[in-house]
Order: sequence, then C-alpha cells, then structure tokens
Amino acid sequence: MLLVQVIVGGLLLGAIYALFSSGLTLIWGMMNFINFAHGEFVMLGMYVALLVVVWLGGGPAAFGFAAAFALFVLGVIVYISLIRHVMRGPMLAQILSTFGLALLLRYTAFWIFSANFVSLPQVSLSGTVNVAGILMPVPQLVAGIAAIALTLALHLLLTRTTVGSQLLAVAEDRNAAMLMGIRPDRMQALAWGLAAGSAGIAGALMAMSYPWSPSVGETFGLTAFVVVTLGGFGSVPGAMYAGLIIGLIQALSAYWFGPIYKDIVVYALFAALLWLRPQGLMGKA
Amino acid sequence: MLLSAQNISKAFGSFLAVRGADLAVAEGEIIGLIGPNGAGKSTFFNCLAGDAVPTTGSVLFDGIDVTRASAEAHARAGIGRTFQVPATFEDMTVLENVMVGAFLRHHHRGTARETALRIVEMTGLARQSAQRARSLGTPGRKRLEIARVLATGPRLMLLDEALAGLTPTELQQAIALVRRIHELGITLVIVEHIMEVIMTLAQRVLVFNQGHVIAHGKPREIVANEAVIEAYLGRGHRRRREAP
Amino acid sequence: MKWSLPALAALLLFYPFILTGPFYWDIGVAFLLAAISASAWNIVGGYAGQVSVGHSMFFGVGAYTPLLFYHLWGLPPVAGVPAGMLVSLVLAVAIGMPTFRLQGHYFSMATIAVAELIRIFVGTWDLVGAAIGLQGPAVGRAWWDLTFRSELPYYYIFLAVLAVVLYTTFEVERSRFGYYLRAIKAGERAARSLGVPVRATKLKALMLSAVFTSVAGSLYSIKTGFIDPESGFGILVSVQMVIIAALGGAGTLFGPLIGALLLVPLQTATNTWFGGGGSGLTYILYGGIIVLLARFEPGGMHEWWQRVAPRLMRRSHAA
Repeated sequence: MLLVQVIVGGLLLGAIYALFSSGLTLIWGMMNFINFAHGEFVMLGMYVALLVVVWLGGGPAAFGFAAAFALFVLGVIVYISLIRHVMRGPMLAQILSTFGLALLLRYTAFWIFSANFVSLPQVSLSGTVNVAGILMPVPQLVAGIAAIALTLALHLLLTRTTVGSQLLAVAEDRNAAMLMGIRPDRMQALAWGLAAGSAGIAGALMAMSYPWSPSVGETFGLTAFVVVTLGGFGSVPGAMYAGLIIGLIQALSAYWFGPIYKDIVVYALFAALLWLRPQGLMGKA
Repeated sequence: MLLSAQNISKAFGSFLAVRGADLAVAEGEIIGLIGPNGAGKSTFFNCLAGDAVPTTGSVLFDGIDVTRASAEAHARAGIGRTFQVPATFEDMTVLENVMVGAFLRHHHRGTARETALRIVEMTGLARQSAQRARSLGTPGRKRLEIARVLATGPRLMLLDEALAGLTPTELQQAIALVRRIHELGITLVIVEHIMEVIMTLAQRVLVFNQGHVIAHGKPREIVANEAVIEAYLGRGHRRRREAP
Repeated sequence: MKWSLPALAALLLFYPFILTGPFYWDIGVAFLLAAISASAWNIVGGYAGQVSVGHSMFFGVGAYTPLLFYHLWGLPPVAGVPAGMLVSLVLAVAIGMPTFRLQGHYFSMATIAVAELIRIFVGTWDLVGAAIGLQGPAVGRAWWDLTFRSELPYYYIFLAVLAVVLYTTFEVERSRFGYYLRAIKAGERAARSLGVPVRATKLKALMLSAVFTSVAGSLYSIKTGFIDPESGFGILVSVQMVIIAALGGAGTLFGPLIGALLLVPLQTATNTWFGGGGSGLTYILYGGIIVLLARFEPGGMHEWWQRVAPRLMRRSHAA
C-alpha cells in the first residue's frame, strides 16, 4: 500500500514538473533557445505565493493567479530586454544570457529572503483524503490535478486557438509566418510570458506542499532539462508524459534507495538519454 | 561519369521536394541547374553535397557511393560547395577563411598558408586578405566562399547562386573567375537565376519545376523549350527573343 | 605591441617582489589560479564555442585525486595529479561523445547535470570524505608534499603551469586544430562542408580543456590542503571560470588573464566590503556582469578594446 502511495505521490509531483517543463520546451521548440533561468522562474513563483499569503492573506486561487501573472510579466520583460537581442547572436552570448540571469535571480533571492527554507502557511487546503485506501494530502492532490489541467490547457491553447496556431507558425517557419502577417516578435514575447507564467504557477502549486529556499531553482531547472529531453525537443505533450515519468522515477528512487538518490537517479537518467535516445519520446531532435 | 545521381527523391514529411531527379556529370563539364524558387533545386543540390540524405536514389562520385556520406566526407572525397546565403567565418580574416579550406589537404600551417595566399591572389581578394570577413559586402563574401572551397582542392564544385546580386562589372569578373576555375580542371554544377551566366558558362542545363526535372539539354535548346519558358522564363525572356 | 609580451612576463615574474607580503602574494596566487582555470575553459568554451557551464567537474576531479591519494595511501598529493588528469579525460569523452553529435544546447545542459550529479554523489560517498571532504598533510613530511608556509613557492609553481597552458593555447591557435576550432565556432555547417571533422575536433578540445582544468583543481587542493564537494564541484567554480574567460574575451589568448586581472581584485574587494553575507552579493554582481556581457559585449573586454582603441587613436592624432 505504501508503494502505491509513493507512486501516486510521484505522479502528482510529476504533473507539476510537466507543467513547468512545457514552458521550457515551448521556447526551445519555437526559438531554439534554452532558458537556463527557467528553474528560477519556478522558485520566484513560490516566493510570490508566499508574499501573497503573508501580506494579503490570499488563498490558493489568489496566490496561484498572482504567481502566474507576476511571472508572465517577468517573462515578457526578460524577452524584450534581453532575449530578443541575444537570440541572433553567438551561442556563447545566448547561453550566458540566461545563465547569468539565473545567477542574478537566485542570489538576489538569497539576499532578500535568506537561505532558510520556508513553507507556505497552510490555511484553506489541508488535511488528507482517503481514496481507495490511499492517503493523499489534500494540497498535493489539488496541486497535481491543477497542474495536469493547466498543462492540458496550454496544449489546447497551442493547438486549438488562433493565437496558438500563430505561435506554432512562428516556431515552424519564422519568415513564412511574417509573410502571413504574424509578428514573430510579439509571438515570441507571448511565448516567454506563457512559459514563465506556467513556471510561476507551477511554483505556487508546489509551494502548497513542499518547503523551499532560493536554492531549489537550480534543481528545478535541471529537472526541467531532463523532462524536456525525455519528452522531446519542442513537444508539450511529450513534456507532459515525461514529467509524470520523471516524478514517478524520483519517488521510487527515494523510496528504494534513499532521499539523497532522487536527484542522482534523474541526472543519471539524463546522461543515459543523451547516449541512447536524445530525441526523447516524441521529439524531432 | 564523375558524378552520377539517380532517381533522387527527398521528402519532408509528406511533402516531396524532389521527385525522381537524375543527373550525370562527366569530368570537366559545367552543368547549369535552373528553375523557379521552390522548384527543388536547392534540395537536390543539398542531396548532392551531403547536407541532406535523399529519401530514395543514389549519388555516386567517381564510382564511390556517397549517398549517405556526411558533408565532411564529401569534402574529403573532392566535392566542394558554396552556400546560397554566404556562410563565411565572419570573425576570421579573409586569409584565415581560405586557410581553413586549405588545411584539408595541407596539414602543415606553412603550406596551408601558401596555398591560401595563392588562391586569395587568384580570386582577386589579395587586397582584403587581412580584413575580417564580416567587413566584406555580399559579393565579397560570395567570392570568399568560392576561394575557400577552392582551397580544399575539389574535383567538383557545387555553386549555389554564387553570382547573384552582382553589378554588371562584378558579374563579368565573377564569370571570368568561374572560367578560370574550370580551366584548372574542376567540374562545376551551378545553380543560377541569371540567364546570362547559364548561357555563357553552362554546357548543359537541367530545368527543375515542382521537384521534377522538366527539361534537359544545351542552353539554346532549353531556351527554345516551350515548357521551360512557361514554367520559368516567362514573358521577359520571350520579349528578349523577339527583339531584333 | 612587441614589447608587451616580455613586459607582461617580467611583471608576472617579479610581482611578488614588487608587491610584497602575504596579502598581495595571496591575491597573486588567486589571480594565477583563476587565469589557469579560465584559460583551460577557454579552449573548449572560447575557441570552439562549446559552452560548458559545468567545468567544475574536471576541476573537482583534479582537486580530489591528490588528497585522495594522500588520504588512502599516504602518498604525496602530487602523485594523484596524473590520476586526476586521466579521470577527467575519460569524463570528457563520456560527455562529449553523445552530445557533440547533437545541437549545442545538449552539451551545455549535460555539463551542468553531470557536474551536479558528481557533486551530490561525492557528497554521499564516504570513501572520498562525503560531505566533510578531504584534507591534505597538515605538516609536510618532505618537500614533495608541497606544503609550504609561504605563498611564494605556490606562486611560482602556478606561474609555471600558467605559462604551459598559455603556450599550449598559443600553439593550438596557430595550428590546423586551432583553425578548425574557430571555424566550428564561426559556422559549423560551413566548417563541415570544408571537410572539418567537427565531432572529433570538439572532442579533442574538450579533452585538452578537461586535462588542464584538472591540473588547476589539483593545484588548488594541494595549496589549500582541503577539498569538499562544494569547493570542488560547486556551480560557483564553473561560474568563475566562465565569467573570467568571457569578461576578458573568450576565444582570445590573453582574455582569461584580463578577466582574472579585473575580477580577482574585485572579488577580494567585495568580500571585504560586503563582509559575511558578502558572497551572496558577489554572485549577484557576477550574474549581472554575465548578463550585461551577453547583452552588450559578448566578446568581452578584448573585443571592446578592439572597437574603442582605433577611435581613441584617431582622437589623439587629431588633437
């Protein structure tokens, strides 16, 4: 029974991984650009949630929305002020830009919030439910379900709406999209907003169940890399499946080998993927 | 036959960019490839150069099957190519660019440099040899690409619109350069839009349209071919023919 | 500029006698170590353009092996240096082989992931000291233990190593290998079309870089007499290499030196100003510098000077 609980817990966390990783893969597929600061976006989402609860006494809906919105704005700002300029430049500049941004965000957070681990004072969502003999903490359950819903929503946004098809058109062929009257610059800014926003809200969801400090951005960033590699370059559905798989693997590793190993196994999996199947489950490589 | 491409097709997903194209090039020939934009010339070209692997068909170079060989292997075998959008090494000087090419056959810096200097001289880039590639205009870059490929000592050169966007004087100089290259014994396959180039240089011409080769023959025959005129040359050339 | 190289050599050679005392010698040693690491990174990150952001893995391996040789077998730490180089070489191949056939991003991601993997793993492995780390000989048993009280011998050992790294880089720059590296950075597709064996060349660059970085790590742990997962494999070790090389001018011979010259005194100063919580602010500064570099001057100070110097010359001539 405990094993089943571990599995379900892993999948629920994996759903959150899927949510924040889909933003990363969207950017990668669209602009051939890897955001090394993506984990920091998640981390900042967590702190936004904290501030909303502590200052405004808001509930999950409030801090969820706030995290999504704040990070959406940050994503757009980052695109306009930085990414847009380095995109067409040398690889060194591209990688350094978000790598430097990650350091900037991480250490600024260390400075403002200190290195202590914090958690969200839980008010509205608490307790556990018993589903078919499995005990599930309510916050984790709600977070997981919300994450899946949001990832699906993102996928539908991309595939079923006009805006979505415009985004994908830019991803497919920038010049052709321009000829069709789509403004690639705007679409890319929007994509960055969406990616950061989904990372932010994923952070807020995670904050409901797990303590954190500014250091978690680094781990989330790496997890996102593994998820997008497993899921496949540019594939949001791939990121969804991969997120769940990674969450599951992590939970099982912690359960069988000990909590220290949960990250080791994931990074080792990454190395193995690069050797054996870099295009992942659904990617174009 | 130096180069023999048979039944080349290239599919991108469900879209067939090239369908069943053949090309046989004897050593020492100059072949022209023409056709409207999107006709499949560049894709076919890429298949010959090793930048794309054909979905069907084969490419034989001097009897060796290079169909699936990498671009590096193509270069080592003696096939060189230039790019439609010049891909010079911007931050390296003109001479350094050419040296990269020369290093293919000359592993020692001294001989590579000598070869590069000779080629820079021959291609008329001597004055700019110490300038960074990025300071050259597009015509200069195109010439640099030719020089760079020449330095690899190719037997076959694939030129992708290497003479586009030149002033009339520059064009004459470029045509003269291509002739000089040909005189060195190098076989050439040239993709061009400029009819003057094709007419003066090409011994045989292939016409592409919508992935097929729709005509194949001497320049004069092609120019008179109704299908070709309709597909590509349009009314402009007709007017020229009709003028006294 | 012909006089500048002998002048630089003389300056470096006599620095400990120009600015004397442990404080200045300490900065000098830190400068040399930073220059060595950054120059090592520069080979693969600067010249070949393959941006490794996890180079600490090689540094850490090089730092751990000497102290491990001492800890396990009582050997002088120097004996562990070749072992570190060998392990780093193997690591370089293990990472380079799969990733160099893919887009550049995979390599960068892999370097962070593997560095982290090793850091966490070493932190749990008792044989190598787990989270506590390893120590070297507190008191030297003989001269080959290299435990000097004064910074001075370290200064000259490090200077010798720096000279080797710079000379190697110089020779590489002029060679076929060096031209191929720069061609790969400037345009992989074009390089391929000219017969450059891209994957093999990148791999060679990574291997060379890894070996030198490993030596830098060994120098560090031999001098400090201590190593732990954070100081060996931490991300800040990687960051420092990258920022120093990039600030000075990645892909240039003296870029790493210029970067070290600018950043090492800066780091010493900020650590003093900001005090205990200082390291956090230092890294905010580093992050900011890297972003600004990427945005405005990816070529670093070297590039900036190349652009600005002609204008300054013109003005001084006109005046």
